[in-house]
Amino acid sequence: MAVFRWFHKRFAVLWVALGVNLFLPGVGLSQSLDELHKLAVKEGGTLNFYATLAQINAEKILPVFEKRFPGIKVNHVDATSDKLVARAVTEARGGKTLGDVLQVPLENVSQAHDQKLLLEVTLPESAEYPQGMKGSFWVASDLQFIIAAWNTGLVKKEEEPKQYEDFADPRWKNRLIAEPRDLEMLMGFAKYKYKSDEKAIELWRKIAANNVEFHSGHSQLAELLVAGQAAVCLTCYSHHYPARIKKGAPVNYLLSEGVASINATAVFKNAPHPNTALLYARWVASQEGQKAMAQGGRTPAHPKVEPMDKTRTEKIYPISVADIKEYPKYEKIWKEIFKLR
Amino acid sequence: MATAAIPRTGKMTMSLDPALLIPVVGAGILVYLAVVPLLMLFVGSFQAEVAPREFVYTLKNYHAAYASEYTYSTFLNSLIFASGSAGLGFILGTMLAWLTERTNTPLRGIFVPLAVVPLILPGVLESIAWIFLLSPKFGYLNVWLTNLFGLKSPPFNVFSLPGMIWVHSVGQVPLAFLLMVAAFKSMDPSLEESAMMSGANTWQTFRRVTLRLLMPTAGSVLLILFVRTLESFEAPALIGIPARIYVYTSEIFLAFNEYPPDYGRGGALAVGLLLLSAIGVWLYTRATKEGKKFQTVTGKAFRPRQFDLGGWRWVGFGFLTGYFIFVVLLPFLVLFWASFLPFFAAPSWDAVSKLSLDNYRYLSGFRPFWDALQNSILLSTLTATVAMVLTSLVAWIVYKSRLPGAWILDFLAFVPITIPGIVMGMALILLYVAFPIPIYGTIWVLLIAYVTRFIPYGMRAASGSILQIHSELEEAASASGASWWETFKRVTLPLLRPGLAAGWIYICIVSFREFSTSVLLATGESRVLSILLFTMFEQGQVTVVAAIGVLMIATLLSIVAVFYKLTGKIGIQT
Repeated sequence: MAVFRWFHKRFAVLWVALGVNLFLPGVGLSQSLDELHKLAVKEGGTLNFYATLAQINAEKILPVFEKRFPGIKVNHVDATSDKLVARAVTEARGGKTLGDVLQVPLENVSQAHDQKLLLEVTLPESAEYPQGMKGSFWVASDLQFIIAAWNTGLVKKEEEPKQYEDFADPRWKNRLIAEPRDLEMLMGFAKYKYKSDEKAIELWRKIAANNVEFHSGHSQLAELLVAGQAAVCLTCYSHHYPARIKKGAPVNYLLSEGVASINATAVFKNAPHPNTALLYARWVASQEGQKAMAQGGRTPAHPKVEPMDKTRTEKIYPISVADIKEYPKYEKIWKEIFKLR
Repeated sequence: MATAAIPRTGKMTMSLDPALLIPVVGAGILVYLAVVPLLMLFVGSFQAEVAPREFVYTLKNYHAAYASEYTYSTFLNSLIFASGSAGLGFILGTMLAWLTERTNTPLRGIFVPLAVVPLILPGVLESIAWIFLLSPKFGYLNVWLTNLFGLKSPPFNVFSLPGMIWVHSVGQVPLAFLLMVAAFKSMDPSLEESAMMSGANTWQTFRRVTLRLLMPTAGSVLLILFVRTLESFEAPALIGIPARIYVYTSEIFLAFNEYPPDYGRGGALAVGLLLLSAIGVWLYTRATKEGKKFQTVTGKAFRPRQFDLGGWRWVGFGFLTGYFIFVVLLPFLVLFWASFLPFFAAPSWDAVSKLSLDNYRYLSGFRPFWDALQNSILLSTLTATVAMVLTSLVAWIVYKSRLPGAWILDFLAFVPITIPGIVMGMALILLYVAFPIPIYGTIWVLLIAYVTRFIPYGMRAASGSILQIHSELEEAASASGASWWETFKRVTLPLLRPGLAAGWIYICIVSFREFSTSVLLATGESRVLSILLFTMFEQGQVTVVAAIGVLMIATLLSIVAVFYKLTGKIGIQT
């Protein structure tokens, strides 16, 4: 059975590679990355990279790509994920595709796909990824773990949280901050921690009673926490903390449980630099690219590449592709719990 | 027809006479810049997307924009924000103007340039600096005051409507100050003297004569501050959105930047904001025109008298000093301090031990910073140059030629002042994303946006100077056989130079700090400094942002210094 699946997978890749090459000459899936590199340089040597990758990671990861493939310059268009997708939609509305690669949370990649903006493509490199880490138009670029973090100046050693239930305690009143869009927390708890919507809703309602303050952007949340805006960040990214702790920032984070969400790479249909787009997408999915992601401070998605820092939680509640389809339902509950609009 | 053409060369050949061609081309350019984007916006506000990229015409956008559960709160927030900022900015600006211009407050002379300095502080930085100072938990002022007086809760919260009003209004003070200084300067002192002679004391004179004389000006200043606040997006973006206090500009931004983007609703909101601002500007021009009818500025030599404040002058001095320490200096200082920190932290010995040049070292190798700096410098100098060339031509046609329909040009050049920056950004995206020439996403679309937005400022500088040049000089030139272009180049232009230079530097500064249009138009390679600040602040690299801010202020100060050196005076016009 496993052999069959293995064969099928390889066959599918081969088939797609052949098919694409037949219909779109020059678009390379069968070439080596170095052959693709030559084609990419001929396209002009620019990659329009629509990605949420924070500058602090991008400045370490993108130069590795540029160095590996001389003659290619990455034009990184960075903004929050919904802004990037909105931009791509706006451009499509005017009949233009300016982006080559989209690298944002899977949820937003799905939105772009709903708008028919993405190329259906199976990269040879994606064969090494398990199911759930790839789809017909995407492959995971990295994982992010939504966890709780706290300011060690404002949280005493003895009151340090061990699990999320702790935040239902009234002693956390007016001491919590979170990201308004992190409904994955509710969803992850409902589906994987409690396997019950009611229990998850009950916990988050109790937490909401402690008057959570909301700020957009996870990096900003982390910075606010360091500065002491709040004692605890309820929905922070684990990969934001090791670097800050090394710099001496007064923070620590919870690694006992967390919700894992996928960042995905996709290629734009009608990308202005199709070979460059494929080159990047294939590179970042390869072990080599994943190592660069890890060194840039992200948690790699590749099963064989380990993260540089402790960012994976012990208990993982992974948001799957199927879960994403249920976003609207949980978004409504989440907004209602916290009175968000 | 040839007789109407200027200059009157006596030749009957019309085909070669550029005098007729130029206004037509000028009008064409102005229509293209100012009117076409608005038309796109207007059309877009009636479109709804039924499937990806399939549109139908509908009125439902207006329903979504003006009959939703949030309509009332947005309207109310905008109203409170705009009137609060206008009021506070006006009061502070008038106090400063009065104290420095009309009283014997000690050392008032040095406060005049200091009052204008914040004009160069970009609004984005202003907001960031005040977040550092007034954030409820870590803001320095809050921390200090809480510790000093042992308070239970922080006294200020910048993430509130009063916080937004404060941050925006202190940014408006220099403008209010300059306008009120002009008003105080041109006031005939004989009326005040009569009041004093009749036995009124200083306060009574101020209240019953000075204040009343100022009423018409005050009304128009308030109105312009109100409109400018309504159009502003810095405080609404950096403070309002995190605090979930939405005004029109932030609603428009979010309609455009959230998934799925709702251009229809955004367009409908933008049309509303445009109307509001147009009404405001119309009232303003009406008020200032009325004012001129009753102007008391005559050729009579007078110097407004100074009020003797007696012992109160030290109170005035205290106010001025306090204002400059807390409102002008502190935001600069907090940015400066934060730029040396590895992460944001309150001043302490521990923090002092962490100070380093790391952020600056980081920036020296940070390519996006250099790209953005280059874009900002290129754009601001290009914008200033293009806008001044264009407006000096237009102003010349309007005021010097006797061409029929020249007033249309004047009107067209004034239209952009009613277009809020965010609305301009939105309109230009809709126009240029579908444009055959690929300028969308480049700095050229920003250039078009900036030039359009700042044409009215250029027009003001250019027309002011052109009106002062007597036609005799030009007529003499053309009588001596100079062509139209030669006359313009060798007579008109040199005479215009000081006024144009002042307009140039002003446009340069406002372009360099521009945010609300760029936030929608600048992407990736075309990113400018104010947008880099915004995205990096969103990404949490706040101390690097502070370092960029410090460098940005240094660049602006050096632009002003170079200009000062070249012309020998700072001619910032408002």
